[in-house]
Amino acid sequence: MTTVANPTPINVMLAGIGGQGLVMTTQLICQAAFLEGFDLKSNDVIGLSQRGGMVWGSIRFGDHIHSPNIPPGEGDYLIGLEPLETLRWQHLIKPQGRLLMNTRQVAPTRVQQEQEPYPVEAIEKMQAVRRTHQLDAVAEAMKCGNGKAANTLLVGCLSHWIPISEKSWHQAIDDTYPEKLREVNHKAWRRGRELAAAWE
Amino acid sequence: MSSPQKTVMTGNQAVARGFWEAGGLVAASYPGSPTVEVLESLHQFPEVESEFSTNEKVALEVAIGASLAGVRALASMKHVGVNIAADPLMTFTQTPTRGGFVLISGDDPGMNSSQNEQDNRNFARFANMAVLVPSNSQEAKDYTRMALEISEAYHLPMMVQITSRVCHGRCLVVLGERETHRGTPFPREVPNYAMIPPNTFDKQYQMKERLEKLAEGPEMEGLMQLEETPGAATLIITSGLPHHNLKELENLNQPVSILKLGMPFPLPEKKLKALAAQYEKVIVVEELTPFIENQLKVMGIACEGKSLFPFTGELHTETIEVGLMKAGLVKQPAYQSANLKEVNLAESVASSEDAHAREGAVSEEVAGQAVQVPSRPPLFCAGCPHRPVFDILKKSKVMVNNDIGCYSMGLFPPFEASHSLISMGATLGISKGMLKANRQAGRPIPLVSVIGDGTFFHSGMPGMVNLLTGLEPEDNLTILLLDNGTTAMTGGQANAATGGRSETNTQPFVDIPQVLKAMGVADVQVVDQFRYKEASEAINKAIKTPGLSVIITTRPCALHFKIKNPIYQVDPAICIGCRTCIKTNCPPLRMKAYEGYDKLKSSIDPTMCVGCSICAQVCPVNAISRPVDRNKSGSKAGAKEAESLESTEGAGGKKTTPSHGAESLEKEENR
Repeated sequence: MTTVANPTPINVMLAGIGGQGLVMTTQLICQAAFLEGFDLKSNDVIGLSQRGGMVWGSIRFGDHIHSPNIPPGEGDYLIGLEPLETLRWQHLIKPQGRLLMNTRQVAPTRVQQEQEPYPVEAIEKMQAVRRTHQLDAVAEAMKCGNGKAANTLLVGCLSHWIPISEKSWHQAIDDTYPEKLREVNHKAWRRGRELAAAWE
Repeated sequence: MSSPQKTVMTGNQAVARGFWEAGGLVAASYPGSPTVEVLESLHQFPEVESEFSTNEKVALEVAIGASLAGVRALASMKHVGVNIAADPLMTFTQTPTRGGFVLISGDDPGMNSSQNEQDNRNFARFANMAVLVPSNSQEAKDYTRMALEISEAYHLPMMVQITSRVCHGRCLVVLGERETHRGTPFPREVPNYAMIPPNTFDKQYQMKERLEKLAEGPEMEGLMQLEETPGAATLIITSGLPHHNLKELENLNQPVSILKLGMPFPLPEKKLKALAAQYEKVIVVEELTPFIENQLKVMGIACEGKSLFPFTGELHTETIEVGLMKAGLVKQPAYQSANLKEVNLAESVASSEDAHAREGAVSEEVAGQAVQVPSRPPLFCAGCPHRPVFDILKKSKVMVNNDIGCYSMGLFPPFEASHSLISMGATLGISKGMLKANRQAGRPIPLVSVIGDGTFFHSGMPGMVNLLTGLEPEDNLTILLLDNGTTAMTGGQANAATGGRSETNTQPFVDIPQVLKAMGVADVQVVDQFRYKEASEAINKAIKTPGLSVIITTRPCALHFKIKNPIYQVDPAICIGCRTCIKTNCPPLRMKAYEGYDKLKSSIDPTMCVGCSICAQVCPVNAISRPVDRNKSGSKAGAKEAESLESTEGAGGKKTTPSHGAESLEKEENR
């Protein structure tokens, strides 16, 4: 086997709940990476989990990508669409990686049924020891015109750190969303990018 | 920069594209994860006649008919769908294939969304078909196209086995032009196409010969990718996605050569023997069964495979690494979460994506302290028409045999209202067998079978007919036929019950009550399950009454038909904190600490509620109501919510509420 290392790919993980539109968001990031000229691979969980279960997606892009999977500890960024799901998947992210976390909690069944607490303290500890940026992405997206653009807003945050041009991102939004949703997604993306710039 | 003929595609989209490029004309499928989107993607091509058929057997038959008629044809289904289609498949494969024929089998290593994990490469060999296994979207497209070419060249039916990761994964795909293939009309060659003895005798030899010819054919060149490394003593043979996962490993302690097999059956024996003879050791890296490994062993090639790697689940990079450590090829593991300790975080929380199947929580360590990360199993959507049905069944404590669909989730807590699930349409036969067994064993109990509209059409109808004879008057079976107007679990595909569900949909539909009546089922009731009390009375009465009863529930899928009505709120001054509503497991409901109250009270997340009213109807103290109703008539009693449905909601089924509102039934697009 050739032992020449891949020129380091960028590994983005998405985690959320079935119904939050995660597949579309994976597609958006893939399209932007493609337009920027990168090789890429992605993965999505599709199936039973779409009904409010845990879902995740992974995107890897760089000069040449073999596997779509991000091995534990190899991820650069995690977009967590929900705090508990961010906690669940943070182990995939490098120590120096970043977690972008939407603060809106959605209780899984056992929490709803009061059989387990929502792990608030563990999430706080995660935030204390990891580079975590948190925001109410739904509220921010509502200010842009539609709460459903929350994912795109988080992608806007992500864009601050990754080497994809603004032009490619906007083209990717046009390529991914139907016409009536494009404007709000452009707006949400810009808002996310501004917020991330302010965090630095 | 990106060249114009490239695009990003999922494996499923790429299969569709490959079929289109190859000049395919007819495609059929039954929806099932992971291959649902193959046929959905084919819908975009007007040149291709594509349909979701009633079940996988019919889909396969449609593709067979098209192939016989000389055109390139595709059937796609999930792995277990091939079981349904096995009967025509096993006989069709005896015939000399005319128009190129490809069966797309969506396998699911790790069972992300399936009831079992069968490896359909075995099915291909069993059926005397060749099987191609793509490792990414580009190959999904190329292999689909190649399968059709091989099929015509060798008169051989082909399988493309594609695993869930490859189906849903994306990568860059180079696009090609569409060829034209119209074929030649079906000839009257009875000995070739009517499979009765003695016509079948020669066919056994022909099936064997065409596979042997392909194994030594020129196509093999493009399907065997050999990466030779000078000085390598070990040859790793792999196939599909594990090839890419293997290539991630950069920490092997010695050089190895890698052979990737695009076609794991049939295999070129002479070539493989000659190659293997150059190496001291051969290791096979393949998901699920030792399919390649066993063939190599039969050829007399010594190799290791399943002694190193798991026979179940996916072969991720880290799993392959563990196997290669056992084989002495890796000394320093790179993927054992080593660097996580630096930030004092988790070992592994969701190390496998099947955590939803686990009961309870997964333990994790954050900042040195053990914490619990609750699992997140899927659940009925807000406004799901199945919710009241399973709430009623749970309270009735009756024995329930379930079937396959979203209503499978009635098995999960907090409902745990059903007790068996085997396969599509099986509940009716299973209940009959249980009735007979219980009667003969002297311990009769009432039974309930739950089956949806799509599953009823798919394979429930024979079981239904079978219930019309052989039962005794004291046998007690209640069948709940949950007619939500769509094949919901797989994303809301249309089925025979979909037509007429909205004012804009005038497609013909099969009238289930009429079908049952025509079959001779005497006791058929149609109920609106959003009238909770009426539905509960009807179901419980049927459970108490001996004989065969069918209750059809009429509310359509809330997700697919995008049902949204004015929302409900909890009045904490009335709520007694009894949690009856919470136990319906509706996503917006959660116990909450209200200011000024010591006890926790129920609450409803206004962003998630769709106004189905079930929580209000189960509330024993009428603490839940709609602000819109309160504004109209002061305090509105929750128990009367059902009455308000008539005037304000339009989501009744076509059979009971012909004047339903079109706006609430407008079909969801782009799911």
